[in-house]
Amino acid sequence: MKLTVNGTVHDVDASPDTPLLWVLRDHLGLTGTKYGCGEALCGACTVHVDGRAVRSCVLPVERLQGRAVTTIEGLSPDGSHPLQQAWARHAVPQCGYCQAGQIMTAAALLEEVPHPSEAQVDRSMATNICRCGTYLRIRAAILDAAGES
Amino acid sequence: MRSTAFLLPLLAAVTSCSSAPAPAPADPATVEAGHKAFAHLVEVLRHPRCLNCHPDDDRPRQGMHQAVHDPPVWRGPDDRGEPGAHCASCHQDRNATDARVPGAPGWHLAPLSMAWRGRSDAAICAQLKDKARNGGRTLDELQQHLAEDPLVGWGFSPGHGREPAPGSQAALGDTARTWIDAGAPCPPRGEPQ
Amino acid sequence: MNAPQLSRRGFLIGSVGTGALFALGAGPAHAAGKPFVPNVWVRLEPDGTLHLTCNRSEMGQGVRSSIPALLAEEMGADRARVRVVQAPGDPVYGDQNTDGSRSIRNQYEMLRRMAAVARTMLEHAGARQLRVPVGEVASVAHEVVHASSGRAVPFGQLAAAAAAAKVPHPDKVKLRSDIPPGGWDLPLVEVDEWTSGRAQFGADVQRPGMLTAVIVRPPVLGAALLEVDDGAARAVPGVHDVVTMPVPAPPYAFQPLGGVAVVARDTWTAKKASEKLRLRWSESPHDDATWAADLAQMREQVAQPGTPRRQRGDAENALKRAANVVEATYVVPHLAHAALEPPAAVAEVTATGCEVWINTQTPQRTRSLVASRLGLEEDAVRVNVTYLGAAFGRKSKPDYAVEAAHLSQAVGRPVRVQWLREDAMRQGYFHAASVQALSAGFDDEGALTAWRQRIASPTIGSTFDAARHELRDSELGQGLSDLPLAVPHVSFETHAVQERMRIGWMRSVYNINHAFAVQGFLDELAHHRGVPLPDFIKTVYGPPRVVSADELGVPLWNYGAPEGEHPIDIARYHRVIDAVRERSAFDAPPVEGRAKGFAVHRSFLTYVACVVEVSRAPGGGPKLERAWVVADPGRIVHRERVRAQLEGAVLFGASVALYGHLDYQGGRVRAGNFREYRLVRMHEAPRSIDVEVITDGHAPGGIGEPGVPPVAPAIANAWFALTRERVRELPFHPPHA
Repeated sequence: MKLTVNGTVHDVDASPDTPLLWVLRDHLGLTGTKYGCGEALCGACTVHVDGRAVRSCVLPVERLQGRAVTTIEGLSPDGSHPLQQAWARHAVPQCGYCQAGQIMTAAALLEEVPHPSEAQVDRSMATNICRCGTYLRIRAAILDAAGES
Repeated sequence: MRSTAFLLPLLAAVTSCSSAPAPAPADPATVEAGHKAFAHLVEVLRHPRCLNCHPDDDRPRQGMHQAVHDPPVWRGPDDRGEPGAHCASCHQDRNATDARVPGAPGWHLAPLSMAWRGRSDAAICAQLKDKARNGGRTLDELQQHLAEDPLVGWGFSPGHGREPAPGSQAALGDTARTWIDAGAPCPPRGEPQ
Repeated sequence: MNAPQLSRRGFLIGSVGTGALFALGAGPAHAAGKPFVPNVWVRLEPDGTLHLTCNRSEMGQGVRSSIPALLAEEMGADRARVRVVQAPGDPVYGDQNTDGSRSIRNQYEMLRRMAAVARTMLEHAGARQLRVPVGEVASVAHEVVHASSGRAVPFGQLAAAAAAAKVPHPDKVKLRSDIPPGGWDLPLVEVDEWTSGRAQFGADVQRPGMLTAVIVRPPVLGAALLEVDDGAARAVPGVHDVVTMPVPAPPYAFQPLGGVAVVARDTWTAKKASEKLRLRWSESPHDDATWAADLAQMREQVAQPGTPRRQRGDAENALKRAANVVEATYVVPHLAHAALEPPAAVAEVTATGCEVWINTQTPQRTRSLVASRLGLEEDAVRVNVTYLGAAFGRKSKPDYAVEAAHLSQAVGRPVRVQWLREDAMRQGYFHAASVQALSAGFDDEGALTAWRQRIASPTIGSTFDAARHELRDSELGQGLSDLPLAVPHVSFETHAVQERMRIGWMRSVYNINHAFAVQGFLDELAHHRGVPLPDFIKTVYGPPRVVSADELGVPLWNYGAPEGEHPIDIARYHRVIDAVRERSAFDAPPVEGRAKGFAVHRSFLTYVACVVEVSRAPGGGPKLERAWVVADPGRIVHRERVRAQLEGAVLFGASVALYGHLDYQGGRVRAGNFREYRLVRMHEAPRSIDVEVITDGHAPGGIGEPGVPPVAPAIANAWFALTRERVRELPFHPPHA
């Protein structure tokens, strides 16, 4: 089947029930999107489909005919997304594994709510686990990127 | 599943009436059947598969023990979850086959007005018949919601070993029909749950 | 991420091992354009690019920032010219075990000397070129500078000349005098790697022809595979092979657990096919084991005397004679590391050897285990270290590297072994539970006269010695043997406990259990005496002094550090206690609906005091409002990463307090994923975490772990202050039955 990722159309030869996560990682070599749980519990697999955040670990690739997928690699061509810049200013990552998912969720939040309150940030980000505990810096970076800090 | 756009003209059409008109009173046997049907109906409504998505606050529930949904999510501005963490970011239009994520078309929370947790049979009955609290539905439309809405139907095929609501959606539709045809009788106030 | 290529012969003196960290170059002048490589740590290109080696695994603690930073600062290099090179597993890099919070503390001087060798040689080359005495030059900002004449030579231009010179012995070079004990505020240079998705973690490595394996391992420890029906699994399109893994014999150590591997073209196929395996397992001695029953048994055990481990005076009689006795039992359950990245390793066995890519904390151990499994010399095995998506200790056990190597050899292709979340949750190595019964006796003036603590806990020792079931001295040395007690009668006793799973070390290890028991109990005693806890602790720990092993009455394990270099210094306890007390306004009247709790703990040679303020969460239990941490770790390098570790430790400790619980029934861990094993999330994080780091020139202590132990007891103590409910058994929110 054909799958559009980050603006490029790919020919994918995977069993149709393969979650998008594994197609991205194993078939297309886009390993920025991570596997943390496989049950939509941790958010590490978050990508955008038609601009909306989805958990790619539970989304079978066959449902994506004609849809446009954006991964962390496609969020910006050069790390220039305001969130990526804010992440650097606040030295957010520790191990870094969850951060692509965090940024993709945060990007979807800011698309819908350009100036979220701190409470809104908490509610929107609560489905993304950071085991290293960088939550306070994620919060600060999102508010910074939104121009609220 | 009803969109807001559909509801608005419906609500506009209803002026001072706060409850759907009942059909003409029926004979005692029919009324008795209607009470029995309502008792079945409310049993279904109180099942966790229904209650979990009809919370009386901002948090969907989960499981037979009706715990707060984990991962943590909130109702959001239009019952569809918070920005960046919408219900649809995980829940699809069908149950996930390989993960334990349930799904049905248009997965979202019932509006706050449609919560009945902890209410008596009589209160639930009044609520179901109240257009201000049942999504602006006539009784026939309510029956249609129960008989055909895919989110309601999900409650009977929840997947992944979850205990379904009692019976089936078709049976629920029939039960609702029987109740409505009997004049939609409500239990007297003070009736125990 | 390749290490500089060095031929060993002629570049090493002495034996391979810790003595081989430096290279003594010799030989003829090199042609211009050659890089300057005085040792395995430094490679300076003629264009000035400076490759600095990081010999420890990056798992969020920032070693890829701090180790090169220390090297660069000692060299006088410009940080912007630095490229970090990740060392493969090789003894030439010294000890590469990234555990025990010792990447800086054990290597501080060694790293400086390695960099100082490079700096010295550059200064000599620069002085020669500038025709001035070497004593008049200095290395500053990537140049050798002659301040009095205002002339300078960039490092790069000196590379060839330095490369031709004789390498001095590291012990003979002079270290800079301007390295501040408090380190530097440095940017996070590799942040773009993570925010772009480029950083390569264990499962991100792809090799030509690589297959992926998912392994079904024994559901109960000790169960043996009796029967394999793999027809349905093999029939799944894309499955390459199904391989039965070798059965380990206890003690398990780092052996793979065994089971059956499905090797397939991609992860999803392997996972789906593995679900079609029909396996029959034997009985196991743990088939009836439940946490509830084991907990009950441990509670019974600690009601009785145990093996004496640390004694002073006669605690039994002192308790009998005491005017008042306070007793309490504290419980910490088994815990999972739950690093967000599960273990994953790629092995590629060829005719001549094996190459491994792995998210490991211990690349040398990985190398020797893989070599041993494949029957190869270690020189034929190369272990490449990827980024680690956190680890907390689980990835110091290379069982999964051996799995990958075994499978690669079996199928003749590169193989990635991917642990699923459920695998990591059920069949990893787990933090040991403990039940601790404490008794304190007071005389009629309210002075503490007796302290007895009985501990029942399975030991990490059981993983390495099938006959060992009682805590080892090193495990008691994480908060019990080294606990300063100005109390005349003291007794610490242990009980043997049968382990039900492979026990391993998890971030701060037994300090978690011991600090929870001791700091909670001290809070109880402080309330009993009507004294604020920080003051009570100062009384119990005694006046400022160095507490020697003699005073403790037992040898001081001290995290492997010499007592003289890292004594137990009560004055340093006082400093962090006083500082956090002040910063948190601990004694001020609480904000309405909130209360504060305190705890202090020394671990990995670092003193950490913590205050947490809680309110009532809507669903019950504590909601974290604010936290304050004051740490005294001695010298540090990367200020910002140190602060980050202490912040993160508050969240890690909060997860321990609120949710951590690896329940088991029928010998099987019940949790499979994060729904059953919850972790603290963004909305539960405190609004602020105030961190102060005291650095005044003491020898460096650890940072990765010491922030964790005081957090759970501080939360429990805050909860008591708020509600008068004393929580002695973690977690606050056990998983649903």
